[in-house]
Amino acid sequence: MRNSDIRIITANAEDVKINKNELALRLKTDRDYNSELLERCRKQFNEAVEYKCAYIRTEVDLSKENICKFDFAEIESRNLYKNLQGCNEAFVMAVTTGISVDRLLKRLNIISQAEHFVTDGLSSAAIESFCDYVSDIMKTGLKCANRFSPGYGDVSLEVQKPLLERLCAAETLGITLNSAYLMTPVKSITAIMGIKS
Amino acid sequence: MKDIRELIKEKRVYFDGGTGTVLQKKGLKPGECPEMWNITQPHKIITLHKSYLKAGANIIKTNTFGINRNKFLNYAELIRKGIECAKKAVEEVEDNEEKYIAFDMGPTGRLLEPLGDLPFEEAVSIFADNIKVAVECGVDLVLIETMNDSYETKAAVVAAKENSDLPIFVTNVYDGTGKLMTGADPAAMIAMLEGLGVDGLGMNCSLGPDKMLEIIDEFAKYSSTPIIVNPNAGLPEVVDGETVFNINEDEFSDYMVQLAERGATILGGCCGTTAKFIQKTIEKTRNLPYKYPTEKDFTMVSSYTHSVIIDKDPILIGERINPTGKPKLKEALRTGDLNYVLNEAVRQADKNVHILDVNVGLPEIDETEMMKKCVSGIQAVTDLPLQIDTTKFETLEQAMRIYNGKPLVNSVNGTEESMKNVLPIVQKYGGGLIALTIDEKGIPDNAYDRAKIAEKIISRAAEYGISRKDIIVDPLALTISSNPESAVVTLESIRLIRALGVKTSLGISNISFGLPQRNLVTSTFYANALQSGLNCAIMNPFADEMMNVYYAYRALNQLDTGCVDYINYASAVQGTVKSDVKTEETLQVCIVKGLKDGAVVQTKKLLESISPLDVINKHIVPALNEIGTAFEQKKAYLPQLLMSAETASLSFEEVKKKIPSEQADKSKAIVLATVKGDIHDIGKNIVKVLMESYGFTVYDLGRDVPPEKILECALEHNCKLVGLSALMTTTVPSMAETIELLNKTDRSIKTLVGGAVLNQEYADMIGADFYGADAMDSVRFAEKFYSA
Repeated sequence: MRNSDIRIITANAEDVKINKNELALRLKTDRDYNSELLERCRKQFNEAVEYKCAYIRTEVDLSKENICKFDFAEIESRNLYKNLQGCNEAFVMAVTTGISVDRLLKRLNIISQAEHFVTDGLSSAAIESFCDYVSDIMKTGLKCANRFSPGYGDVSLEVQKPLLERLCAAETLGITLNSAYLMTPVKSITAIMGIKS
Repeated sequence: MKDIRELIKEKRVYFDGGTGTVLQKKGLKPGECPEMWNITQPHKIITLHKSYLKAGANIIKTNTFGINRNKFLNYAELIRKGIECAKKAVEEVEDNEEKYIAFDMGPTGRLLEPLGDLPFEEAVSIFADNIKVAVECGVDLVLIETMNDSYETKAAVVAAKENSDLPIFVTNVYDGTGKLMTGADPAAMIAMLEGLGVDGLGMNCSLGPDKMLEIIDEFAKYSSTPIIVNPNAGLPEVVDGETVFNINEDEFSDYMVQLAERGATILGGCCGTTAKFIQKTIEKTRNLPYKYPTEKDFTMVSSYTHSVIIDKDPILIGERINPTGKPKLKEALRTGDLNYVLNEAVRQADKNVHILDVNVGLPEIDETEMMKKCVSGIQAVTDLPLQIDTTKFETLEQAMRIYNGKPLVNSVNGTEESMKNVLPIVQKYGGGLIALTIDEKGIPDNAYDRAKIAEKIISRAAEYGISRKDIIVDPLALTISSNPESAVVTLESIRLIRALGVKTSLGISNISFGLPQRNLVTSTFYANALQSGLNCAIMNPFADEMMNVYYAYRALNQLDTGCVDYINYASAVQGTVKSDVKTEETLQVCIVKGLKDGAVVQTKKLLESISPLDVINKHIVPALNEIGTAFEQKKAYLPQLLMSAETASLSFEEVKKKIPSEQADKSKAIVLATVKGDIHDIGKNIVKVLMESYGFTVYDLGRDVPPEKILECALEHNCKLVGLSALMTTTVPSMAETIELLNKTDRSIKTLVGGAVLNQEYADMIGADFYGADAMDSVRFAEKFYSA
């Protein structure tokens, strides 16, 4: 059973422009790097990717210092508390490239480290870009704080557990956590984005 | 009351509808566990069940969907209370005679290995704990529902089978594209679930009945088992702060009529549906003619994504993962080099074979462990169904158990020993079964007696409930070099056996054993066998002659519409020939540019005129240095460096073939590992490729490697250089621990460290001998280390 306030966004490979700066950062190249290798990897990635996002819009209570109280968790954090100043609502989201990308990466890890390295970088840049894509949709007409992900600053990865449960992420996105609180599919992101009141 | 398995043979039965969504209306908060109400508000649960029974539902689902020992310490109590609520409701509703309690089990919320980290056996054990409690309390059936992964579904079914005799119903969650979250389509699920012997299968949740109509035909086409359809009431929408589903009970029940007419046998609802939905559905479908599914005649095997149907269109089974006559594979199995095996799997998959044979039988290794590793590993890198090939019954059982899908089993034969051991395993887990026409007296020298053995196996299999359609007979091709009549007898056997109504398979390559130009004989025999009605060939997909026959045969026999596959194949063949001829770049240029095919051609050419050592020192190494220097000067990027390294490695492989193994230079070696606790291996793998391209022997221990194992490897190979990688700050201490252990044991072992979180300062702090800022840096150090 899925909580009924959850919204879903999906996108095709063509819909999401992969941010060139993000990509260059991952591949350790300059912004305009291109090659036959990169194009081959891009094609394989595009065939595998199934972008999907689940999010809710929910209240956040900041009445106690350094405590961000959501309906799914109370997060104690100076960094997030600061980030959410001026907000009494937030978008809580999880995004993923889908499990086929994990399978592609596993396969490439066996047959070619060059393709694996490039596709891994491409997938990381792509999920960041998809995160921007969905954030833009959510933000329409609103003023929002910067996106904040568990694992940054003093917010531990463990927050991902209640957050993903709140989004019914196993069901809606196929995202599960392992015992080290890392997500599968590997190219997945969770984030909180405050809405300025 | 009748067993539900009997009842569904006679009439349409009905499930109840939504649980969680109804409880939300009764005050359950988002994120609150509905199962807690079994203890805190049991009356509300009982009322819910009663509403469905009064509406005419035959099966109520216990409020136990999310319960398991990982989520709730008091899981057993929650289950007991949940079942009590259901029993109470059944007692209190008298005007409904056919009332069954389904013990409801949902997913664990964790993903199974190899993609996730939940071991298969742990998943089985979690479900088993639930089932044991349910059996103790007494329920009428088990419902495994809302499963979005085929592997977890299998774990739940195995647990239910091993801990009860209850009827088992299974429903999976399909998305808008008609697939499970992890990729399986209905045919793949049907193949696996029927193999496991479930009593009902189908779909629930996620989709409304309108969308399920798009998938129902797939179920009706392939399933011989009653089909369960429990849709949502469409999609949830928030209207004025209230959640409503966008399909009402009238529309819902109209769709259910269509679903019933198109083959759904057991009807009910999921999220958003209420007693009214079920009542309307029953009213409208009660008098529709009822048809129990007919027995379908497909010979199917499956992986976790798709099924393969064995019929007129020939099936290719890749034979390369079998150590017989393959020294490199033998060596890989002995040293536990799984990568070599996985590489063989991927290369064969790229040749478009349909199924991969997996045989890892070597007397000196633990075959069962290796088979399990290979099956799991191969299933992580290709989605082809596998053929489990072993003579050890224990190995077969373990491999079938952990296989994700319905495998082919190679093989059973006509000996008592084989039948009594293999058939029960296939009965339990389900599989296509290769049956060899050999018995205690050996292989008959004529077709008639071979067919007799086939008949014997077929009738024995039937005693175990294994249907004729799941048997594929292999009449055994022996080499014509010592058995001149073999081809003729084998072909005649195929014709006779086909007449028994079973499919056939052959290990094609055997026919030419001991002859020169074997592929000529093998491929001609293959064409003959296809003409005689052969279905499956266990063959070498890298033998072009075999692939030629395969594509041409399909084009000639109307199995390839518009000759599309043939044309694609033919133009690809032409393409490779051309590129070989065109390669005029020197080896050095090929390596620098990363042209793999060209590099292999040029290496072979060079080896005709100069010594292997000169190829390395005068061509490969200068090329690597050129690209390495360009990289260091930031004139080339890491992707290019990697491509060049891979290309050089291929070139090296060619050179190595010309160097007798005893002369091979094993002096330059390095042990590589990502340290304990760290699962990131991309950096380590980059270093590995580069090291190999420079001719280093690399002992790659993988990721998450404990210090003792690293030490053990260094000592075993007397390797004085160890490279350690870590990506997470949290695992640097385990790197320090490893270095400490190495230093304590043998100070002459030098350590080289690298990884995103490291820098010179860190490296010094943890006592490493060298910090490699990047992969090239590490290679330079290793080179210097061995030239000193």
